[in-house]
Amino acid sequence: MSENVYVVSAAMVPFGKHRSSSYVGLAVPPLIDALRSAGVSKEDIDAVWVGHSYGGMMTGQRICKEIGLGTVPTVNVDNACSSGATAVHEAWEAISRGDIDVAVVIGVEKLTQFGGGTLPLSPEDREVKQGIVMPAVYAMRAMRYLHETEATPEDLALVSVKARKHGALNPFAQFRSEVTVDEVLAARPVADPLTLLMCCPTGDGASVVVLASEQARARLGVRGMRVAASILHSGQVAEGYRDMTAPEISKHSAHDAYEAAGIGPEDLDMIELHDAFSIAELVYYETFGLAERGRGIALIRDGRTTFGGDVVVNPSGGLLAKGHPVGASGVAQIAEAFWQLTGTAGDRQIEDARWAMTHVTGGGTAGLDHGACTIHLFEAA
Amino acid sequence: MTAATATEVLVSSPVADLESDGLLGEFPEGPRLVGTTCDACGNTMIGTRIVCSDCVGTDVTRVALPTAGVLYTFTRLHVGAEGVRPLGYVDFDGDVRTLADLRETEDAPLMPGIRVALGVDGDAWWFAPEATDASIAPAATEATEASEEEK
Repeated sequence: MSENVYVVSAAMVPFGKHRSSSYVGLAVPPLIDALRSAGVSKEDIDAVWVGHSYGGMMTGQRICKEIGLGTVPTVNVDNACSSGATAVHEAWEAISRGDIDVAVVIGVEKLTQFGGGTLPLSPEDREVKQGIVMPAVYAMRAMRYLHETEATPEDLALVSVKARKHGALNPFAQFRSEVTVDEVLAARPVADPLTLLMCCPTGDGASVVVLASEQARARLGVRGMRVAASILHSGQVAEGYRDMTAPEISKHSAHDAYEAAGIGPEDLDMIELHDAFSIAELVYYETFGLAERGRGIALIRDGRTTFGGDVVVNPSGGLLAKGHPVGASGVAQIAEAFWQLTGTAGDRQIEDARWAMTHVTGGGTAGLDHGACTIHLFEAA
Repeated sequence: MTAATATEVLVSSPVADLESDGLLGEFPEGPRLVGTTCDACGNTMIGTRIVCSDCVGTDVTRVALPTAGVLYTFTRLHVGAEGVRPLGYVDFDGDVRTLADLRETEDAPLMPGIRVALGVDGDAWWFAPEATDASIAPAATEATEASEEEK
């Protein structure tokens, strides 16, 4: 693991309900745009990784053949919500080992194919058979967090309000209108204490990034951002007690990421974190070392995680506002980091952004905190 | 980086490809299978496309594919539906291949390498050995008795 790896290009379609588009129709346009914007030709590409959970057989090959991108390895990756980021991790690993120079990573998902409702989980899972759904998992985290800390439902609402404020600035966001605390609290209950506006929407989308070695980046003559850490952890089973307000898989992943990059949470200018439900953001403030246990609420109450604060959390609007087409999210977070660290984020640009973290988990498995967690750290180049 | 900029990145647009799944299209010369030709390199592909699979050009034109070609290979499928379904790959005059339902008669059985012609009736289309009663000129306004019996 010695070669420096860079993200040299990013593109995506706005997340939303693209009912007329297939996985191919979602992913081919950003694939073309990502290659063009970095001046990458098909012949430059050594391998392709494609993150998705519901695309079916050979989703990656179905996309790549449209532009005649074949012969090289194409690997389809499923790690639930971490699929896209896991795909980036695999590409990073291959380049950093020196095996290849240029990799394309596609994250894509089409959730409107299910016609609504909660995310379909594996029917083989013990708790799924008992009726667990993702909103219930996060709602139980929230209920315990409200029990253990001074947090109130208003704090949960504040996370959604911030997300929607950021999303309103992002042309890629599924929700581009702001909401108030009262509107969030008055929204339809989904799983107590979570209301509809505390839950990420379902939708469709695709995002593409191109990763390159130092030499390939020099040859392409693009700036990009450096991958300072790429960490992938899997869940460890707990048959008995588990503290659901302190997810250890994300804590351990963050620890390893900070160590690999040689930085700490105080160095971060932005974080794109897995706010599938608003409770998650408060918990992750603490998990990532931005706040002491039980004190995450101070950050959201004091506006320290929005533009002008200590660290901008989810400048894109996050999963709550930008949307969460499962397999696409991890790549889309990295696209956001790319635009922020290359000064091309438009209205939502964070001034002097140098360090970015992206974080996704993948859940829905009995006995595990989450099934997978991927954390990346990036430095402006 | 030193300062925020107002530079905006390109917002990619999804393609509504699920709305254009059918291969049969209307053209001035009549119903034909739809192809796409790349304006830059001339590569012709089956179906509606937005990008050239050869040169990755995105300036492409919808074209009518030829009405005849060569049957490369075929099978008679005995599973998945009622009865027997002949199915094969047809290579058009030009370098485009399509999967196609096939029709045959005792007088004109299917064989690899024979010339086949497009038949169309409403939304249905198929290929059959050329110059037999099982094939119909696609621009024809009425189907022959033979082809009606085949259906």
